[in-house]
Formats: sequence, C-alpha cells, structure tokens
Amino acid sequence: MSATVTGSTMVRIEQLDKSFGPHQVLFDIDLEVAAGETVCLIGPSGSGKSTLLRCINHLEDINYGSITVDDELIGYRLEKGRLHELREKEACSKRVEIGMVFQHFNLFPHMTAVENVSFAPMKVKGEDRASARAYARELLARVGLSGKEDFYPSQLSGGQQQRVAIARALAMRPKLMLFDEPTSALDPELVGEVLAVMKDLALTGGITMIVVTHEMGFAREVGDRVIFMDAGRIVEQGPPEQVLGEPEHERTRAFLSAVLR
Amino acid sequence: MTQNIQGLDHTATTPTPLPRGHRKVVPVRHYGRMLLAVVVVVIVVGSVIGIANNPNFDWSIVGEFVFSPSILRGLGSTLLITIVSMVVAVILSVIIAVMRMSPSTIISSVAAAYVFIFRGIPLIVLLILVGNLGLFIKDIVIGIPFTDIVFIDTPAARLVTPFVASVLGLSLAGAAYMAEIMRSGLLAIGRGQREAAKALGLNSARTLRYIVLPQALRVIVPPMGNEFIGMLKASAIVSVIAGGDLLTVAQGIAGTNYRTIELLIVATIWYLLVIVIFSIGQHFLEKRTAER
Repeated sequence: MSATVTGSTMVRIEQLDKSFGPHQVLFDIDLEVAAGETVCLIGPSGSGKSTLLRCINHLEDINYGSITVDDELIGYRLEKGRLHELREKEACSKRVEIGMVFQHFNLFPHMTAVENVSFAPMKVKGEDRASARAYARELLARVGLSGKEDFYPSQLSGGQQQRVAIARALAMRPKLMLFDEPTSALDPELVGEVLAVMKDLALTGGITMIVVTHEMGFAREVGDRVIFMDAGRIVEQGPPEQVLGEPEHERTRAFLSAVLR
Repeated sequence: MTQNIQGLDHTATTPTPLPRGHRKVVPVRHYGRMLLAVVVVVIVVGSVIGIANNPNFDWSIVGEFVFSPSILRGLGSTLLITIVSMVVAVILSVIIAVMRMSPSTIISSVAAAYVFIFRGIPLIVLLILVGNLGLFIKDIVIGIPFTDIVFIDTPAARLVTPFVASVLGLSLAGAAYMAEIMRSGLLAIGRGQREAAKALGLNSARTLRYIVLPQALRVIVPPMGNEFIGMLKASAIVSVIAGGDLLTVAQGIAGTNYRTIELLIVATIWYLLVIVIFSIGQHFLEKRTAER
C-alpha cells in the first residue's frame, strides 16, 4: 500500500527463540521487513506478538538467534560466533533509531506535551532547546495537537495522549517505528484519531512500521503485509486481503471469526 | 423481605402518596455527642487552669529562661544536629535504597541487613554505643587494607565528640527508616516509565535523574517531612551522651536551680514552636511537589 517500499531490508530476524524463565514464548522466528513497509502483527493474546516487538528494540533480551535493524545487530555484538549482550551505553545508542509507542502511552506525567516530545532529542541527541521545541511543535501539529503543547498528559484524553506519544517517538527521527497495541487502551470513540495519525504516517512518512494490533480494519487498509502469530510461532503471512480474506490455516480462520464476529 | 418482593411485583397496588404540604426536614440530633463534647471541654479547661494555677509551677522562671542565651545555644545545636543528621541520613538512605534494589543478591542483602540492624536497635542504645565508641575502638584508622597507606589515624575519643556521636547515631538510625521510604518511592514509578525512557535511548542514570526521581519525590516528600519531625524529637535523646542539645542544656540548668518542670516546659515550648514552623514549610513543599 505504501508508495515507499524499497528493496533494502530494515529488520531481519533469524531463528529467534525467547523464553521467560522456563516458559518459552517465541519459537524459531524468521522475519524480514523491508524498508518503508508497514507490517501488522495479529494474533490472540499470549501469542508472543508483543514480546517479538519488544525484542526488536531490546526491551527484552533474547535466548537464541539474532535481530538486525538496518544491518546492525540490536542489543548484541557478534564475537567468535557468539552473541554478547551489549553494555547499556551501546544498547542505548542503537535504540535511538527505533521509535516505540506503547499500549498505555507511558507519557511522562510531570512534563507538558511539548516537553515530552522535545525531551529525548535534547538529552540524548544534545539538540538545543529552541530547535528541539520547534520540531516538537511541528510534530504535535502533524498529529493534530496544535494548541495542546503546554497541556500535561493528565489534561489530555487517551487519544490525545497516544498522539503525543507518537510525536515523542517521531522526535528522535527513527527509521523504524514499533507500535505495541496502540489503541487497545483507548475508549472506542478515540481509536479512530490515533489510527488516522498512524495511517498518515504509513502512507506519507516513508518510515518502516511494525504494528501489533487488534484493529483488522487498519491492518486491511494500511498494512502492506499481515502476519498472524499463535503460540509463539508465525502461522501465516501475506497481503492483508489474503490473510484476512482467505486465510489458509484453521487457526487463523478461528481467530478472525472470533475478532470479526 | 416480603415487602421487597412485593415491590418488584408490578401488579402490587401503588403506595398511597404522602400528603402534600409542609415538609421541613429535621436531622437526627446526636444528644450523646453533644454531651461528650461538653465533658471533653470541661476536662480540657480544668486541666489547663489546674496547670496554670499550680503553685508548684513558677511561670516567671519559664519566662526568665525561654530566651536565655544558654537555652538558645542549646536550641541552636539541636537544630544543627537535626539538620546535619537529616542530610547525612538522606544521602545514606538513597545509597541503601539503590543497593537494596540491586540485582546482585550480595549487595541487596547487605542493604537489607543494614535496615534490619539499625531499625532494630533502640535509638538510645545506639547513641550510647556510638557515644562510647572510644571504649571499644581505640584508634580510628582509614587507609587501604593490607597496605601501609593510611589517610587518618586518630584516637576515637578525640574524633567522636558528643556532637559527632549524636549525628552518627541519629543518621545511622534515620537512614534505615528513610531507605524504605526512598525504596517505596522509587518502586511507585511504574515499569512503563522506565521502558518509555529506555526506548527513547536514555541510559539508566538519566532515567533516574529526569524521569523517576521527579515523580518519586511526590511520594517521598510527605513521609520525609515526618521523618524530619521525628529526627528533631529524637535529637532530645542525645542528652544521654551530653550532646549539648536543648534538652541537655535545660537539664543542666535544672540541675543547678532545681526548677526541673519549668525548664522542661521551656524546652517543650521550643520543640513545639520549631515543629509548627517546620510543618508550615512542609505544607507548602507538599503543595509544590503535588502539582502535576
């Protein structure tokens, strides 16, 4: 759907295993995402889709396999065939290129909207206050929040907060955006405004997006590819009309009939 | 019960409406409560009059000593001991709290043991122990172990003056309590905040400084104010090691003129006054940190 999918690979996941203690949640995941592509991850809760997303920017460590973003290993360094977990400082510098939007927004409650957005560019990238603020205002305008710059998160609706959170992630000028169920915590009437911002981003931004979502309409309309996960494995993937319209697997059909009712 | 069931039954006859007209509402009168209030007032007023007119209290003595230079000096050292102990305790408690949350079991166990020991020892015992440090530690030597490099080597009795012992005892004990307050404050900040900061590329020191601490302060400040008041009151206990504080001075004067009660009243007046002033400041500080 996006006009900007190029040939190069943005995310490459190979043979990824992930366990929480004795409980394995991801099994041998292989996945490539092209630069500019919008991929929607769907599946029942507990299927491992959120964990997979969190592994991509190393909010979770992994047990086996590798993840590269823009041909750079994330969270690890390859040495003599083994992956060594990076020290915090190195891991941080790689995260800068990956934006993340959380289910519960996780805005900083003691900062206004514009402070939330301009904070990381100033502290992490060392941008000066004036230009960071100017860009923050620009981004807030882009997500439709002009005039709300000096509001605190508690003074904003859930949909507005999530749009601030999207602007905050964009402020770091990421190559890749990860959305972890961005509309699941919202009241139904506020879902649309957030999806509209994400759609705009997918269609005009040229940015690579991986979206964990339960919004099948969004996946169908905006996704270049839909991936259905269940029990820690990728069950099937393909263009939205195929996966959502004519799913090959019984589990996909069962899931879709449950959510589409 | 049967009435409720009838109420659900739509075929039941509707109750006859109340007659229209005068409907002034009369609240219940709590006669017992009024009587109790009268009794309480009688007891309070009686006690106050009794104390004020007690021929054994000489209020002129109180007036004479409230602003006496030695009492004011005692008040000064009480404030100094309290403030220095508070500062040392706050710093120590942050270290203990961070150690307590360390992923290393050894480090967190040491912090837990510290909290257990210094919360467990009665403050008066701890102060007497520290005050008599010279009895069981002859020399204080600070250097690098197993080498000949030595930075400080003095007799303990000279280094540990009553003032130092007071500050040491109060801050060691205070830090044990405050460490738990700090820890609960830091834990009150949800994982989502740290993750959001992490995802933006902030390291953990900056996350603590800019994201966690400013929010944790809101949780920490009110109980810390109470700790300060507690520290001020606990500082009176240093009189057992002649800490030179307000109570030590008041007792010293009472020892010469035998006006024990009057001088305790003088000390009480000052303690209450300082606490009132501090409570006002605490109120404004809480209001400030509670915003947002």
